[in-house]
Amino acid sequence: MTEVVTSNSIQSRRILVIDDEEANLLLLRTLLEREGYANVRYLSDPTKAVEELIDFEPHLILLDLMMPQLDGYQLLEAFRRQASPDRFLPVLVLTADKTIEARRRALALGAKDFLSKPFDVIEIGLRIANLLETQILYERLEARQSNGSAS
Amino acid sequence: MARSPQLKARTPRIWADLPLTVKGLVVIALPLVILIASLVMLYMAFNAESRAEEDVRRAFAIQRDMYQVHSLLAEAGGGVREFILTGEDRSLRTLNDAQELLPQTLARLDEAIEDRAVREAYEVFLSLSDQKLDGLEQLAEIATEGGSTGAIQQSLNSNRTVLDELRLQIDEIQRLEQEVLDRRRAQVDAVRELFLRLTAVSAVVGLLGSLAAVFLFSTGIVRRVHLLEASAERLERGEPLPAFPDDADEIGQLAGKLDRASALLRARESDLRESEERFRLVVEGVRDYGIFALTPEGRVATWNMGAERTKGWKADEILGEYFGRFYPEETRDYLPEAMLGRARRDGRAEDEGWRVRKDGARFWANVVVTALYDENGALKGYAKVTRDMTERKRSEEALRAAQKEAVAANEAKSDFLSRTSHELRTPMSAILGFAQMLELDQDGFHERHRVAVGQILKAGRHLLSLIDDLLDISSIEAGGEDLKVERLEIEKLLTEARDLAQPLLNAAGLQLDLEQPEQTVWVLADQRRVTQVTLNLLSNAGKYSPADSRVRLSARVIEDKAVIEVEDEGPGVSDENIPRLFTPFDRLGKGGTNGVKGTGLGLALSKRLVESMGGEIGFYNREGSGGGSVFWFSLPLAGDGAQGPRAGTAARAYSTEGSA
Repeated sequence: MTEVVTSNSIQSRRILVIDDEEANLLLLRTLLEREGYANVRYLSDPTKAVEELIDFEPHLILLDLMMPQLDGYQLLEAFRRQASPDRFLPVLVLTADKTIEARRRALALGAKDFLSKPFDVIEIGLRIANLLETQILYERLEARQSNGSAS
Repeated sequence: MARSPQLKARTPRIWADLPLTVKGLVVIALPLVILIASLVMLYMAFNAESRAEEDVRRAFAIQRDMYQVHSLLAEAGGGVREFILTGEDRSLRTLNDAQELLPQTLARLDEAIEDRAVREAYEVFLSLSDQKLDGLEQLAEIATEGGSTGAIQQSLNSNRTVLDELRLQIDEIQRLEQEVLDRRRAQVDAVRELFLRLTAVSAVVGLLGSLAAVFLFSTGIVRRVHLLEASAERLERGEPLPAFPDDADEIGQLAGKLDRASALLRARESDLRESEERFRLVVEGVRDYGIFALTPEGRVATWNMGAERTKGWKADEILGEYFGRFYPEETRDYLPEAMLGRARRDGRAEDEGWRVRKDGARFWANVVVTALYDENGALKGYAKVTRDMTERKRSEEALRAAQKEAVAANEAKSDFLSRTSHELRTPMSAILGFAQMLELDQDGFHERHRVAVGQILKAGRHLLSLIDDLLDISSIEAGGEDLKVERLEIEKLLTEARDLAQPLLNAAGLQLDLEQPEQTVWVLADQRRVTQVTLNLLSNAGKYSPADSRVRLSARVIEDKAVIEVEDEGPGVSDENIPRLFTPFDRLGKGGTNGVKGTGLGLALSKRLVESMGGEIGFYNREGSGGGSVFWFSLPLAGDGAQGPRAGTAARAYSTEGSA
């Protein structure tokens, strides 16, 4: 039995976007709306990220690294502490810092993907869809496993 | 006259030089010999005395025997006369006795008489006695036979005279014997006198000899032994020894040895004192190290100039004080004892830390405490060397601060670059992102807007690559990115660059030829940078090449470098422009119509990258009909460099081309 991840199920996923630059938030909003995502929250104040994480329970986080007050690395650590271990919460890091060190550090802290700004809008759309598809498949696997063990 | 003192001097000299054995022999033997001699003489005197007594006894015996002969004969005569008168045989018994006893007595006399004169008299006596006896025998015979009275009378008369003569002879002998006896006695007396005198003399001589020997012994040996003893005492006290007579005997030799030992000892002592003095001067004079000794209880026993300078106390202020006062309050309670304990346990204790001066000021000190033991292993105290390290500590701290500053500066620089990158790229992100969004929706746009969006994207992308290259250059110039030099194989580097550049060049309608070196070549370089430069040169070649032309990538070894070349069939560069090729933003043909895209930073960046790896970069125009440009850069060979023979021909070709 094959189950196809429909674009509908992807577009209904909850996405949390965190970036202190309003212009970038607007760009991502334009992009995500164009791609048909309906369940997106945009956050320009990183200090509210953890609160939002608990309240909104996103399936994917788009995260800028370089922010005042609280930078992306700290948030990555906070997410890791906060997230329940059986939940798959992919984080796509977007940053203007294109040094290899930034890339390594973010990935080591649990980011699932990494894109340098400025990014290609088509590429980022594809990566977001891919990550969400993986997330859905993971959830299904989890559900099936818990069903299997329950029956 | 002149010789006598010399002789006098020589005699004790000879005595002094005699070995002790001989001296001892003389001292003991001399009185002994004299004693024995006097004993012999006493014996001889006694002997002479006893011989004289014997002589007297003998003289008496002779006298007695002669009287016995006389009386025997007289009794025999009486008996014969009685016989004549009485005729009784009994009266003849005396004659018989005489006949019987006379020979024995005469034999005794014969034996006893020694003196010649006496013997002559005795001979007369003997004949007289024989005559008498014969006469008596004759008379007795006549009487027995009844002879005539006249004959008897005649015989009697003759007999009578014989006896008288005998009597006279006895007196004569007695007289002679007395003479002999007197003579002998006088002789014996003389001898005894002599011997007694000799004994007395020898006793005196012996006494004097003994005294002399004792004197010699005491002067020659005892006195010198005392001298030696005194010398030994002086030696013990380390004083110089008095002159000692250099006699050849054992004591003299001993004295000589003592003298040499003393000289040696004094020389050594003076050496030792000198070296001690030198050492003391050195220690006292050392100014940079506080060197001082501690008693086993930790009290200061010595103090040098360095200690005074370092710690501020003068010697008379600190001697006898416990050394704990050099320590600041926070360590004073335990560290001093701990240091001594460690020194006792390990022989040596070292510490670096704060110490206190007399005025209370602190200084950073390096301290070494060494435990000192005497030859029996008993603790004698400690040597302590203190060095003021405050200056060094300060310079170390300054260095550390400078290092910290440098690290901070480096971090600040990296931070600045990273921020600049962020600050410049973030707006670009919005610009390019929105432009791209617009481009996606351009189907509904007016043509003018479509062109505008296209221009925004184009200019935006150019600006972005400018920003990237600029940041790269400043990062290299700031020494920001770490150079990761390793041993790399040229062949692999070229293949990788070819694979990366091929699609781009092919898309531009160009053919990329790769010409590998003839042998394996190893270089020392940073792989990422080499690839970056190679790609830069290839993309550069792609930009300036006419359509359907070839781009050639090749490598060779020239001397101690590997040279990588990128050759194209483009128009080349005029000679006056060659020096400007690697200057930032100095793009040749700027504003030209050939539509070449680029930031004008690529070659400048490449130059910096190559130079950061110890290489060079350059350009020359290819000569010949087709024209063309050659960009090259060199990299240092790894230790074992090129495998196989070097391409000498290639080197020549390169240098001629290079000079063109």
